[in-house]
Amino acid sequence: MRLGVRGRVTLLFGLLALALSLLLAVLSWSLVTHFLVAQRESSAAAETAVDAGLLQREIDARPVDVSGALDTVGSGASAAVLRYDDAWYATSLDPTPSDLPAALVERVEAGTASTQRIEIDGRPLLAVGMPLQPSGNAYFAVYDLTELNRTFRVLSASLAGAALLTVVCGLVLGRSASRRALRPLTELNDVASAVASGRLTARMDTGGDPDLAPLARSFNATVESLQRRVRADARFAGDVSHELRTPLTTMLNSVQVLQNRRARLPEEVREPLDLLAEDLERFRRMVVDLLEISRAEDESSATSEAVAIGELVERAADEAAKRPVTMVEPEAADVIMLADKRRLERVIANLVENAERHGGGCTGVTVRLGCDGSTVEIAVDDAGPGVPIDRRERIFERFNRGDEAEDSGVGLGLAIVARHVGQHHGRVAAEDSPVGGARFLVTFPVGRGRGR
Amino acid sequence: MTRSVLLVEDDPRVRRSLRLALEDEGYAVVEASTGASALDMLRERGPDVVLLDLMLPDTDGFSVCRELRRESAVPVIMVTARTDSHDVVAGLEAGADDYVTKPLVAKELSARIRALLRRATAGPSAAPRDDLTLGDLRIDLGDAVVVRDGVELPLTRTEFKLLAELVLAEGRVCSREHLLDKVWGYGYFGDSRIVDVHVRRLRMKVEHDPASPCHLLTVRGLGYRLAG
Repeated sequence: MRLGVRGRVTLLFGLLALALSLLLAVLSWSLVTHFLVAQRESSAAAETAVDAGLLQREIDARPVDVSGALDTVGSGASAAVLRYDDAWYATSLDPTPSDLPAALVERVEAGTASTQRIEIDGRPLLAVGMPLQPSGNAYFAVYDLTELNRTFRVLSASLAGAALLTVVCGLVLGRSASRRALRPLTELNDVASAVASGRLTARMDTGGDPDLAPLARSFNATVESLQRRVRADARFAGDVSHELRTPLTTMLNSVQVLQNRRARLPEEVREPLDLLAEDLERFRRMVVDLLEISRAEDESSATSEAVAIGELVERAADEAAKRPVTMVEPEAADVIMLADKRRLERVIANLVENAERHGGGCTGVTVRLGCDGSTVEIAVDDAGPGVPIDRRERIFERFNRGDEAEDSGVGLGLAIVARHVGQHHGRVAAEDSPVGGARFLVTFPVGRGRGR
Repeated sequence: MTRSVLLVEDDPRVRRSLRLALEDEGYAVVEASTGASALDMLRERGPDVVLLDLMLPDTDGFSVCRELRRESAVPVIMVTARTDSHDVVAGLEAGADDYVTKPLVAKELSARIRALLRRATAGPSAAPRDDLTLGDLRIDLGDAVVVRDGVELPLTRTEFKLLAELVLAEGRVCSREHLLDKVWGYGYFGDSRIVDVHVRRLRMKVEHDPASPCHLLTVRGLGYRLAG
C-alpha cells in the first residue's frame, strides 16, 4: 500500500520523534546509571576504608577475638568478611567468603584496594576489598545493590514512557502539520470536484498562501477559460436556434395553410405533406429545446414563486399524458416549494413524454414526501424495458438518445430535465421501477414553507 | 364579423406566411414592416388587434408599443425572442396585453387573439347589475367603461376585463391563475408576470396613489383583491 502525503509526513514526524527520544533516553540512561554506580561505589569504598581502619585497630587491641572485632564493623554492608592469617571470618553466611571472586581476593591480598560487582543467586552485589595495613590481611565488605537496580528499573520505565509519549506527540504533530500544510490542496480538491460536477462558477481563493497562489491562479484561469468555452458553446447553440426560428415560422405557417387544404390536394402529394409537417414539428421541438437548454445556463432568467408541487405535477403530468396518471399522496398534497413554474412544468412534461415515447407508456406519476420530510419526491414510472445501469448517468447528457428508433425525439428532453432540476437544487436519477420498467425519480428539498 | 389583425413584422417571408395562415383562420390581415408604417396603419385601418414583433429595423418595439398605446386601446400581442427574458416584462410595461414567442403558429395566435377580444366576463349572476361602484369609480360593465367624476378613464380592453373580474369577485381574493384563465384564457401554466404587470398598469390609472393602493390590493402569496 502506498502512503499518501499526509501519511508520509505523519510517519516522518513519528520516526523523528522516536529517534530523538531514543537518543535522549539512552544518553540520560547512561549518564544517570554511571553517576549512580560511581557514587555508590565510592561511598562503599569510603565506608569500607573506614571500617578497615577500625577493624585493624580493634584487632591490634585484642588480637585474640578476631570475630568479635569483625562484628563491630560492616554495619552498612550486607556481609563483612575478613581474611586473617589465611583463615576466613564472616559476619554472614550469605554471601559466604567463597562467593568472593578469586581475582578480587588476590588483588586485595597483594595490597591493592579493589571493588567488583558480582551477582549471587540473581542478586546484584558490590564487593569491596581493602588490605589491612600493615598486617597483610584483607577485609571485604559486600553491599547489596538491589535498591540501586530498582532505581534503574524505575528510571528505564520512565524513560521508555517519555519516549513513547514523544513518539505519540510527534505523530499528532505530524498529522496536524500535514493537515494544515495540505489544507490548500483540500480546497483545491473541493473546488475541482465542484467544477467537475458542473458548477463552473467555483473558484479558488488566491489571497491565501503565497506559495500556492500561483497554483490557485492558474487553476482559476483554466476554469475561467472552460467556463468561457461552455458559455460560448451555449450562446452559439442559442444564437443558432434563435436564428432558425424565423425561417421556421415561415415554414410552419405555410405548411399549416397547405394542411388546411389537404383534402383538395392531389393524392400523391398528401403523404409528402404529412411527412413534411411531422418533421417540421420535430424540428420545431428541437429548436425550442435547444433554446431552452442554451438559456438554462443563464440562471438570472429564472423566476421563482411559491407553488403547490402536488397540483403542479398533477396538471403537468396529466396534460402531457393526456389522461390522469398522477397520484399525490395526502402528506405531499400541501407541500409548497419555491419554483420556476414554467421550468418545473417542462421537467414533468419531458419525463412523462419520455415515458410515453420510449418507456412503453407512462404507468403512473407519484408525488410523495421523502422519508425525513425535508424532501418531496416525484416518481415517473413506465412500462418499458428499463434503463441499463451503465446508461443511467449518460441518459441525462445532451443528445444522448436511448435508441435509434424512428420516433426517438431529439435527445434534449432529459438533459433539460437534469438542468432544470439542478437549478431547483434537486436531483434526478433513473432507477428500476418497483412495478417493472424504468422509474425516473426527481427529489427536491422543501425545507420550510410546508403547509399553507 | 371579420376581425382585422395589424401584423407588424420586418421579415417579409414571415409576414407573408403569417398573413396566409391568419387569413385561413378567418382574420383580415393588414401588414406593416416598420414602426412608422405600423402607426400609420393603426390610424388608417383601426385594426381589432395588433401583432407586434419587438425586433424592428427602424425603431425598437417598446417605443412603438408605447406610441400605439398613446393613441389607441387596441389589444397588442407582442412577439418576443424568448419567454424568460426581461423583454417580456418591459413589453408588458410598455402597454402590450399579451406575448407570444417565436416560432409562432397561426393556430396558437388565433387562440390568443380570440381570448383578448372576448368581452369582459359577464357571468349570469352579474348580468342584471351592469353598474358597479368602487370608491369614486363607476364601472359600467355593459359599455365597458370606468368613469371617475364624469370623466372616462382610458383603460384598455384587457385592463377593463381584469378590473371587472376583480369587481365580480366582490372582495374575495382572486389568484393569479384564476385571473390568467378568466382574462387571458391561459391554463395553470400561464405566465403570472402578465397579471402582475397589468395590475401595476391598472393601479396607475385607477388609484390616486399607485404606490400605496387602496382599491387594488395584493394578497401576498395568494393573488389580488379589490377593496371599496
